[in-house]
Amino acid sequence: MDKVIKKWFPLFALPTFVAFSIAFLFPFFMGLYLSFCKFKVVTNTTFVWFDNYVKAFTANGDFLNALWFTTKFTIVSVISINIIAFIFAMLLTKSLKGTNVFRTIFFMPNLIGGIVLGYIWSMMINGVLLTWQSTITTDAKYGFWGLVILMNWQMIGYMMIIYISGIQNISPDLLEAAEIDGANGWQKLIHVTLPQIMPSITICLFLTLTNSFRLFDQNYALTAGAPGKQTQMLALDIYTTFYGRVGWQGVGQAKAVIFSILVAAIALTQLYLTRSKEVEN
Amino acid sequence: MKNLKRVIALSMAGCMMAGAMAACNTEGGDTSSKAAVGESSVDTKDVKSIYFLNFKPEIADKYAAIAEQYKKETGIEVKVTTAASGEYEQTLTAEMAKSEPPTIFQINGPVGYSNWAEWCADLKNTDLYNILSDKSLAVTKDDGVYGIPYAVEGYGIIYNDAIMQKYFATSGAKVTSVDEINSFDKLSAVVEDMTAKKADLGIDGVFGSTSLKTGDDWRWQTHLMDLPLYYEFKTDSGSSITSCLNSTELKFTYADNYKKIFDLYTNNSCTEKSLLGGKTVDESMAEFATGKCAMIQNGNWAWGQINGIDGNQVKAEDVKFLPIYTGVDGEEKQGLCIGTENYFAINSKVDAATQKASADFLNWLFTSEYGKKAVKDDLGFIAPFTSFGDNEKPEDPLAKSVLSWMEKDGYKSVEWTFGGIPSENWKKEFGANLLQYVQGQKEWNAVVDEAKSSWTTEREAAATA
Amino acid sequence: MAENDNKLDLTEEEIAALNLDKDDEELEANSKYTGKSVSSEWKNFLDGVEKENEQRKIKEEMDKLKLQKPKGKKMTGKDIFAFIVLVIVAIGFIVPILLVVMNSFKGKLYVSNEPFALPTAESFVGFKNYVEGMEKINFIPAFFTSLFITVFSVALLVLCTSMCAWYITRVKTWYTKIMYLLFACSMIVPFQMVMFPMSYVANVLHLDNMFGILIMYLGFGAGLSVFMFAGFVKSVPLEIEEAAMIDGCGPIRTFFTIDFPIMRPSAITVAILNAMWIWNDYLLPTLVLSNDRTLPMAIQYLRGGYGSIDMSQMMAMLVLTIIPIIIFYFSCQKYIIKGVVAGAVKG
Repeated sequence: MDKVIKKWFPLFALPTFVAFSIAFLFPFFMGLYLSFCKFKVVTNTTFVWFDNYVKAFTANGDFLNALWFTTKFTIVSVISINIIAFIFAMLLTKSLKGTNVFRTIFFMPNLIGGIVLGYIWSMMINGVLLTWQSTITTDAKYGFWGLVILMNWQMIGYMMIIYISGIQNISPDLLEAAEIDGANGWQKLIHVTLPQIMPSITICLFLTLTNSFRLFDQNYALTAGAPGKQTQMLALDIYTTFYGRVGWQGVGQAKAVIFSILVAAIALTQLYLTRSKEVEN
Repeated sequence: MKNLKRVIALSMAGCMMAGAMAACNTEGGDTSSKAAVGESSVDTKDVKSIYFLNFKPEIADKYAAIAEQYKKETGIEVKVTTAASGEYEQTLTAEMAKSEPPTIFQINGPVGYSNWAEWCADLKNTDLYNILSDKSLAVTKDDGVYGIPYAVEGYGIIYNDAIMQKYFATSGAKVTSVDEINSFDKLSAVVEDMTAKKADLGIDGVFGSTSLKTGDDWRWQTHLMDLPLYYEFKTDSGSSITSCLNSTELKFTYADNYKKIFDLYTNNSCTEKSLLGGKTVDESMAEFATGKCAMIQNGNWAWGQINGIDGNQVKAEDVKFLPIYTGVDGEEKQGLCIGTENYFAINSKVDAATQKASADFLNWLFTSEYGKKAVKDDLGFIAPFTSFGDNEKPEDPLAKSVLSWMEKDGYKSVEWTFGGIPSENWKKEFGANLLQYVQGQKEWNAVVDEAKSSWTTEREAAATA
Repeated sequence: MAENDNKLDLTEEEIAALNLDKDDEELEANSKYTGKSVSSEWKNFLDGVEKENEQRKIKEEMDKLKLQKPKGKKMTGKDIFAFIVLVIVAIGFIVPILLVVMNSFKGKLYVSNEPFALPTAESFVGFKNYVEGMEKINFIPAFFTSLFITVFSVALLVLCTSMCAWYITRVKTWYTKIMYLLFACSMIVPFQMVMFPMSYVANVLHLDNMFGILIMYLGFGAGLSVFMFAGFVKSVPLEIEEAAMIDGCGPIRTFFTIDFPIMRPSAITVAILNAMWIWNDYLLPTLVLSNDRTLPMAIQYLRGGYGSIDMSQMMAMLVLTIIPIIIFYFSCQKYIIKGVVAGAVKG
């Protein structure tokens, strides 16, 4: 059958691949080239070898600070989102009233776009902090936790649904067998449930990891990096580099390349690790 | 299938090569003209359209009618696109790379010019430059003119006269009329007395919030900073902007003066210091408009944020300007801060005929009857051109106040020296430091030191760009 | 486990009778595929497909039951506690949205001063913010631009990427493997990397209009969509496809009559996920479009120069932006949950 379909490449795969090349591959390689150039407008560049990469790290501590902040944020978010989503998933796969309503409500935050969300939450958090006479910019800690809460709000519903499906696909026989063997709730969780939902865990970890690391809109709208640049994440740092100083767009592009490599490395590592733990049925 | 494999491999390689080549120096079809606009007599009859990238979103729709009228009169289509607020640089960068770039665009002064120098045509022979009332205002390099200012603006301390009159009527008032406030000492005496009597005056504080939210702190890191910069860099010959531009270091000799006025603002504000990081300009203007405060630092553009807002309690005749006093010698004769950040530039990379057509449009806008009326009523510019008579200037109270201060005998306006600040980064860092200072997280000396060292760093970075 | 369930229930002889390993010439020579014999083979095939569909329907019903709670079970104390916790959290989840709606009915000055207060007689301004906001940013054209772009991008995406994913999964050559890897990796790359070049590319290829942007969205969204479809394609049994093809269905017919209907849930998921993203997207249209404006772009024009912004109008416009997507979500809710489930787990 392979041979029969193979000829049909132009119809089936080519349109998508062409669009993909135009919209993604081509700009990606161009961006890669630009990271080695100095430019103000993309049609007017001068090749400067690794100058931009050196500047990215040495110009000021911003890139590394942003890296550190982003890493902290990602670790905390990934753990909190997945644990909370899993707990909710466990709760909503029992016989509670109104399960469907809950599921809808938890999924809704996902429907609202990035910048809008940041403004709404900025308003809310400042309103709450008002009682302590401070704002989200008073301390980098507020900004950090504000971002974490925001991320959780948006992602928990989505992850929860994936976990629910994973839990519902566990064969009840396995759980029964474990009970018969004398396992209590906790042991059932660790030895039966978790291994069985490994595919869900893979996907959820992947999504939360990449989304947290690449966060931009909400960061910009919530704190814009304040106070100073302490709550600036990597994507925002790249954006600031693009427009902060004359002629530093190349450095921003170099930072973006490093950023891409980092995210890819982390995501692929995670996929490899968790995929290998997936139990074959 | 070998063929297919080859095709795919080749196209991917082609992709990459094309990507590299496209990003290389493209000369963009040599239609660019380095000659000054209007130098040689160029025929514009074949020009079909010109493209203007507008900076101000609030008047975007007004340009549509203007463009239509121009098309009626000359047949040339004026395409006007407006960048969203705060995104002008981004939009301009993207548009310039396109096959039909803007022919008229805006630069914010000498620093903006250094960014776009390659794209700025020499305008010294244009009619528009000839009618510029004060030629020193233009952006120049060597003997070429590259940016022509089109709207003069001014800022200072806007005050609500109704509340001031109430204050003067209280017992023990430090002065009996606003004219007596002509120095920092008098200003601070009045302000502090008003703070003590704020309950009687019905206000929450004398000054509106010193908005220090990121992106809304330009009133302090740029406008207020103008005063120390002006006094440090002013010279008897030439503009202070040029000497500021050429400086590689900032001595910040007037740092204490800055601290004085800044502390005055934040100590007598209607908002607690710890909350200033969340305040925006818009919220501060709202405080002024609802009568919660008596004074606020801003410019004549702010009229739109006072007038016509629901709950506005400030009358037009009560809104006036006071200069920003900082305790410098001779400030009794200091006026408002008057200048511009709005300069028209014409794209030197389009063909000569289009350049001339663009210059003609601008000239028409500021000399024809229709154009002048539109500028005065719809666009609201105080246009610095000799073609405008006295009765052809905007009539809102703040514009009127700016004009009257500009014309006061014996008074010297403060130039917009901040046009020489090295980069956006310097401003952002200074603003962030101010926020930390006001929140008690940084000492003033540290703020001053960092401002100085950042100045040097940014200037060097800009020089090597 | 799922694969086994989908095998046709044919006996050994019947399988042999299908002559799956003989090639075309042999079969022709055998003349088993002429006249009456064809129709009986075809009938067997159809019977098999029918059985397949029945089994599938039964499985769907069972899934549906699983998603519903078993009726008539009493709630224990622990359950009640869990229920209360969920209610509190659910309220917390809705509060931000309610805030936006509430503030959209207040006057501008009151939004900044007292964001949490309910509209009072003083601050309530009815629908003024909606009307004025809509006029200011030219809402209706922007709305239809957004609608057009979202609907057609999604349609294009679902159509093209499903075909592409099917091709990549069925045809195993070095270049399809690379394509799959590229698609997967594109989901990781941050947008800043391609921001600058994308605008230039779109302009050079004259894609900077409402039709060109559909291609840009197809390309940019292909990564996730192909990835999800590819996972689901693997669960469509090869046997059915092969049987159809042997009987003379070309790949197109095979795909559209057999695979596409089976992949419907996944298609709906991809449609919904992409719709959510494209409707709210701000950066891509800003960089690509020259003359048109989408809704998120139009909303940014509520900000004037020098920091003037009408927050109450912005809140009103946000509500108007959220409403369509919420309506879409509620009407497809059933499919979303099923589809997210199917696509994600098998992906």
